[in-house]
Amino acid sequence: MSEERKIRVLVAKPGLDGHERGARVVAYGLRDEGFEVIYTGLRQTPDQIAVAALQEDVDVVGLSILSGAHVSLSRKVIERLKERGADDILLLVGGIIPEKDIPTLKEIGVGAVFTSGSSIPTIAEYIRSEIASDGGG
Amino acid sequence: MGIDTERIEEVRKAEKEWQEKVLDPRVNRFKLRKSPTRFYTPTARNGFDFLEKVGFPGQYPYTAGNNPFDFWRAFAEESAKRGHRPDWGGGGSVGKYGGFGTASDYRDYLLRMQSIGRTGGPNMAFDLVTQCGYDSDSPEAEGEVGRVGVAVDSFRDFQIIYEAYTGNLEMDKVASNFTINAPAAVIIAMYAAMAEKRGIPVDRLRGTPQNDILKEFIARGTYIYPPRQSLRLFRDILVFCTEHMPRLNITSIGGYHIREAGATRTQDLAFSMANGAAYLQAGVDAGLEVDTFAPMFTFNAFGGSMEIYQEIAFQRAARRMYARMLKERFGAKNPRSMLIRQPVSAHIGCSSTTLQRPLNNHTRAVIGGLAAGMSGAMPLSFPPFDEPLGLGHSLEAVQLNLDATRILIHEAKIADVNDPWAGSYMMEALTDEIEEDAWAEFDKIEKMGGAVAAIESGYMQKAVAKSAYERQKRIERQEDFVVGVNCFNDENEIDVSVNRAVEDTYDEESMRSAEERQKAALDQLKREREGKAVKTTLATLRKNAGDETVNLMPDILACVKAEATLQEISDVLREVFGEAEPVRM
Repeated sequence: MSEERKIRVLVAKPGLDGHERGARVVAYGLRDEGFEVIYTGLRQTPDQIAVAALQEDVDVVGLSILSGAHVSLSRKVIERLKERGADDILLLVGGIIPEKDIPTLKEIGVGAVFTSGSSIPTIAEYIRSEIASDGGG
Repeated sequence: MGIDTERIEEVRKAEKEWQEKVLDPRVNRFKLRKSPTRFYTPTARNGFDFLEKVGFPGQYPYTAGNNPFDFWRAFAEESAKRGHRPDWGGGGSVGKYGGFGTASDYRDYLLRMQSIGRTGGPNMAFDLVTQCGYDSDSPEAEGEVGRVGVAVDSFRDFQIIYEAYTGNLEMDKVASNFTINAPAAVIIAMYAAMAEKRGIPVDRLRGTPQNDILKEFIARGTYIYPPRQSLRLFRDILVFCTEHMPRLNITSIGGYHIREAGATRTQDLAFSMANGAAYLQAGVDAGLEVDTFAPMFTFNAFGGSMEIYQEIAFQRAARRMYARMLKERFGAKNPRSMLIRQPVSAHIGCSSTTLQRPLNNHTRAVIGGLAAGMSGAMPLSFPPFDEPLGLGHSLEAVQLNLDATRILIHEAKIADVNDPWAGSYMMEALTDEIEEDAWAEFDKIEKMGGAVAAIESGYMQKAVAKSAYERQKRIERQEDFVVGVNCFNDENEIDVSVNRAVEDTYDEESMRSAEERQKAALDQLKREREGKAVKTTLATLRKNAGDETVNLMPDILACVKAEATLQEISDVLREVFGEAEPVRM
């Protein structure tokens, strides 16, 4: 009945890491999968990311991190989102993430981690199922 | 090759006949749209001129290689007898790429390496804070100090690092590499100031700063100032080095990073050449004769892939293209100006490695080594198979790489023939094709106004992003195959693992405390230094930065000696130059 609202995704690069390939590819890919995608560009602070997430009214924030600082950066983004009452936003992490760190990331509130070799349909499917089970946001 | 026209016609006729009578029926028999293979004949390259297109190793246009044989090849057998490890450095060369923690952490690491015989010069990785022109006490630095490289906030840190280089390993007796781009002027100034302080003439210093800022906008991302202002700083470094530090390489131009970011072969070559042309032009515009500085340009290899024939052709095309550009466009006369001097040639690139069944990456690296050995360089196998795990290279993986290279040299004898594919119909056709495509893209960029304009408009950045996405789509549609990733990945396949002993480089605890210790040292510096000298030198820098005709290197050198911090210097330039905007697509 109501017009279908596209799922909105913010792809963000926190910290000083300049490796953009993954973030750009995922941004293009999710756009082709029918999502509304906003890409922040490089060097965003956790605060800037939380502000952008709220301003853009996104359902999902995807962090791309290849600097090894994934745990501390993810934690900060989650804190900033919480402070703004936006902890219902689904947080995903992609990049070079050693397997041993994945449980830690999930504990602090990351929904899923997509490492090298993940396919875009897999990411898209995960987002759709998570957002649907949330009652569509 | 070099077949006459009459014979070519004969071949062309025979080829057509073969296609109709042999190839097409087979294609039809298997119900294919087209043949999955290709056979190259003399018709692929009409009028091939050996002397024009290939020539001899060490002679223009350098298609067959920079030298009849390289330095390492002259001593390969001797090295085998003596068990020399090229990765350890020594003999005045640089050591293994590395860096972490505080300046003293890194100094202690270098001393530890020397105590076990690894005596190469420092090959410095800087943390992202330093690379982006911040200090360790900046809010941007939080969590990143000393993580991906050593933290350098001031000249004091630089002096601490070089405490590892004295006596037999005095700083002018080893070469130093600095993977630094946007703040390259500051780091070079520290290097010069360091020599001056030790009473060593700066013109004796050897080494290579990466100093390839334009590619930072296209890939890698550690830019600070807008492209045009960044090129002005490049010019200042070029002129300063040519005058005062003639043994220091001016730049290490990196196609490697561009390809890793997703560029196609054509984009990699064309963009690297366009960046190189912008740098060369900056020197010429400063009034210098091209042969006075071009010999000090180096390349950080170009990108790589698993496509062995194309990657060999690519290296041949790159050498020929650069030589032609230097000779025909810039009027270079010194043969050394025309060479692509690079530490490696063909390779697979780290982006060819997979997280899935990682031991396969060793197989991949060996193929890269084979490509390198067949394209005018040491057959280096790289990277270690555990590269994509993000845990550091293990001793086992590094040993396997090293041994693969040795096996290729000494057992397979890959390095006994120069340019072994020269004259192959296939290789010459591919080489021509890659060069022609790259020139076409290069000309397109020239029409846009050159590399700087093509970066300002976002053209290069978007082109690379699109190519990266195209590659991803090809993998997902199974048009490109990656073993263990998009094929051969069902439950019948078994994972193969090996033990990994990570090199004892640093302990977790010292990494955790690095930020705090580095900040304490910075705090102490700010209390102890002479505030007035800092202010005066920064004020002069600010004044001169506004005048494009002034070379800023002497001013930056003065700031460094007055112990102004890297961020204080960078902030002054940010004020005057502005900051580059990230491309959001």
